[in-house]
Amino acid sequence: MPKVDITVEVCGMAGDGTIAAGGLVNEAMSLGGFSVLGFDSYPAEIRGFGRCVTRSRIGSNEIGALADETHILISLDDLQSRSRVPFLARDSAVLFDSKPDTLLEEEQSLAAVVEPGTALFGIPFTYLATAATGTSRGRNLAALGGFAALFGVQPEWFRRVITRKFQSKGEKVLEVNLKSFDAGFHYALEKFADRLRPSFAAANVVAGPEKVMLSGNQAIGQAALDAGLKLYFGYPITPATPIMEFLAKYLPAKGGRVVQMEDEIASVGAVLGAFYAGARAMTATSGPGFALMTELITHGVMAEIPAVILNAQRGGPSTGLPTKTEQSDLHAAVFGGPGDSSRIVIAPSNVAECYSFTVQSFQLAEKYQTPVIVLTDFYLDNRVENVVMPVASEKEKTDGNLYPDESLQGSYHRYLDTESGVSPRSLPGMEGFAYVATGLEHTERAQPDYTPEIHTKMTGKRHRKLQYALEDLPVPVEYSDGGQLDVGIIGWGSTFGSIQEAVNMARERGWKVAALKITSIFPYHEKEIRSFMTKCREILITELNYEGQLANLIGHLHRKEVVRLNQVTGVPFSPSAIFSKIEALLQAGVS
Amino acid sequence: MKTAATSLAEQIRHIKEAKKFDIRSGALPTWCPGCGYFGIHQGLNACIQELGLAHHEVVTVSGIGCAGRYPFFTSNYGLHTVHGRTLPVAQGVKLANPDLTVYAVGGDGDGLAIGGGHFPHAARRNVNINYLMFDNSIYGLTKGQPSPSSPVGMKSKASPFGTLDKPLNATLMALTYGASFVARLFAGDPKGITEALIEGTQHEGFAFFHIYSTCLTFDKAYKTWAHLKQWVHPIPEDHDPADLRRAFDLVLGDDFSTGIIYRRE
Ligand SMILES: Cc1ncc(C[n+]2csc(CCOP(=O)(O)OP(=O)(O)O)c2C)c(N)n1
Ligand code: SF4
Ligand SMILES: [Mg+2]
Repeated sequence: MPKVDITVEVCGMAGDGTIAAGGLVNEAMSLGGFSVLGFDSYPAEIRGFGRCVTRSRIGSNEIGALADETHILISLDDLQSRSRVPFLARDSAVLFDSKPDTLLEEEQSLAAVVEPGTALFGIPFTYLATAATGTSRGRNLAALGGFAALFGVQPEWFRRVITRKFQSKGEKVLEVNLKSFDAGFHYALEKFADRLRPSFAAANVVAGPEKVMLSGNQAIGQAALDAGLKLYFGYPITPATPIMEFLAKYLPAKGGRVVQMEDEIASVGAVLGAFYAGARAMTATSGPGFALMTELITHGVMAEIPAVILNAQRGGPSTGLPTKTEQSDLHAAVFGGPGDSSRIVIAPSNVAECYSFTVQSFQLAEKYQTPVIVLTDFYLDNRVENVVMPVASEKEKTDGNLYPDESLQGSYHRYLDTESGVSPRSLPGMEGFAYVATGLEHTERAQPDYTPEIHTKMTGKRHRKLQYALEDLPVPVEYSDGGQLDVGIIGWGSTFGSIQEAVNMARERGWKVAALKITSIFPYHEKEIRSFMTKCREILITELNYEGQLANLIGHLHRKEVVRLNQVTGVPFSPSAIFSKIEALLQAGVS
Repeated sequence: MKTAATSLAEQIRHIKEAKKFDIRSGALPTWCPGCGYFGIHQGLNACIQELGLAHHEVVTVSGIGCAGRYPFFTSNYGLHTVHGRTLPVAQGVKLANPDLTVYAVGGDGDGLAIGGGHFPHAARRNVNINYLMFDNSIYGLTKGQPSPSSPVGMKSKASPFGTLDKPLNATLMALTYGASFVARLFAGDPKGITEALIEGTQHEGFAFFHIYSTCLTFDKAYKTWAHLKQWVHPIPEDHDPADLRRAFDLVLGDDFSTGIIYRRE
């Protein structure tokens, strides 16, 4: 059975229905049983103007990253699509509107710029939609009809997802879309009867359990809901805003509340206040907002108040690259703020982990009484993957708090220096356990105290907790066949998908290459990381930042200097870039 | 001598029986003797006692400054935050558990300078918390720098030639921000503080208490006890706190009248 691994792009101007069409491609292919990873890019800065592109990688096997090349380009606007031509693979196919409302000059047309070998399929999207429905509004659907016919996609998959999407918009709208789809489908089936390329049909994929298309941000929002979030406090910032908007829609029905605060300082302040009083609360932000939060994050560390803070990384310092992706807030997340203020930092690498780590973050924060930072990035937040709808178990959702024993009433030591460093925490309303949570250094009884003995003891207590937390934190995941390795790649976050793909490419060539995914950034699993490193001749740490922030953190665990591969282009790593680096390392090793 | 001692013991017994001082924590206030904050402490404690609030259901949230130390001197739950962040944290506490009575306390620097951005939003969000601004028009804890409510020309180590910036009027700001309960009070009048706090605590919504105080250690010339006692006076008998226009008129025409200035149900 031939495997497929096909990347489909839809490109158009804002207003062409590009994003909607791309979404339908994802949904339909997911319904058909394929793995799908999608990513949209569109001009976030300017509404109603500019180029929109959706990319969908569709495969019969699991997919970890977007691919470098596009195999099928559906052009809803040829002038815009010209910019996508350099990304077309050899033997790719381009679908375009053969009778658009405005005809381009000959030399501006797509046909004039594509490589020779490219299969061009001119389909009159606008004309077909108008002829079938009286309006050209369904021209994007006519294009999808053409796509389905040409590449062996069952029209029923599309009809079902179209119905699901447009049902609520009224019968008329649904009919326009279905008829336009059918018109495109039948036209292409007849017109190109001798040129069909039914690759998807040939893959014979069997649909497994029902899957949903979920973005990283949706998974995070859903996880927070499922974990019993009571309060969300936030301030809008790309790329974290969709989490607030998701929760604003769904949290009230669960008895919770979303409060848009005046800034990020207020947001994290309110989260601390809420956790102090016993409610699950969270905030999500990106670099600039995270920077504002640091003082209060260290307050959570010092006063031992739980908090859940999501940092959806974008690019660069200051306002940087608001709509691009980077992994350059690791230092800030782990070390940001005054004093010895280590806290828990975890980083999901795919949509499923966005869900499970977010659920877990609440319990971790409660159990270890410290802020938990979940680090994601633009690429992870906004990409969509088809996953079996995740569900949190009761165990994962249970209260992680440790309350003081009744018998201690009146003689309560809020900051009791226990073996694990975790001390029972009372909540306002519990009689006989009142205390003042303070960011001043304090005694076990929560009294301010700056003596050398107390600061030494309490600093130790706060750090000891983190070492105990390791046993609850997500462990590193190794992708290897065992044995000695020439190159071991270590990565984190959304980059790991690209690393996995690169490792697969290397293994196909018989090279001894493996990868280790770090999900707990701090504290990290020193033992597991070391044992992986020991098996490798070279360690390559690949991340989307200039300074090599993970390498700076864990590089010292290797017996020799680790090799770094860094990129600050604002876009994800292409697997082939990582592959080339592996190749170079292996060649260097041979010579 | 013996009788005096007995009578003191007697007095203490009475006080203990009345449970008047249970609200105080074991820690004695670290404020300078004669600091205006003792009066506020007394006023707020009396309010909690008189309303019969269970101490473990009261949370005092504070910022940093001499004022911010207040929670350590009571037996309530307390949350001593960082400089300027009293209000957001206090709102988080209240929203998490509406059964709690929440007092946010902080200085003029805490609430008008570093935390000034939170004040309008707490007022317009109208979460049911009580905010006490201890306004001594100076940075007490950091030893006497000018604050946003210091008078023009104030000389200090940080402003040896006198300050240039105009002072902010916290009461006027609260009215402008749409606070639903606004009182202006004087640390030298704990009874007045208690009365207003009792009203404000029962008010559903954000209640603001602007409390003039003095920093006798670092301010020898401006908001001194002597000056404040001379300047402060009760608002006119016929003032109608339900009338926002009159509240504005009152505050615009007179910086030192004290009492409940505005309330909106
Ligand atoms: C972020 C930050 N900046 C500065 C300080 C230093 N600091 C502590 S208290 C204070 C001002 C105190 O003045 P005020 O709020 O009026 O309170 P008061 O001491 O007068 O009661 C300052 C500047 C700090 N603790 N944190
Ligand atoms: S420094 Fe001023 S404000 Fe602070 S306690 Fe002393 S008198 Fe009061
Ligand atoms: Mg002050």
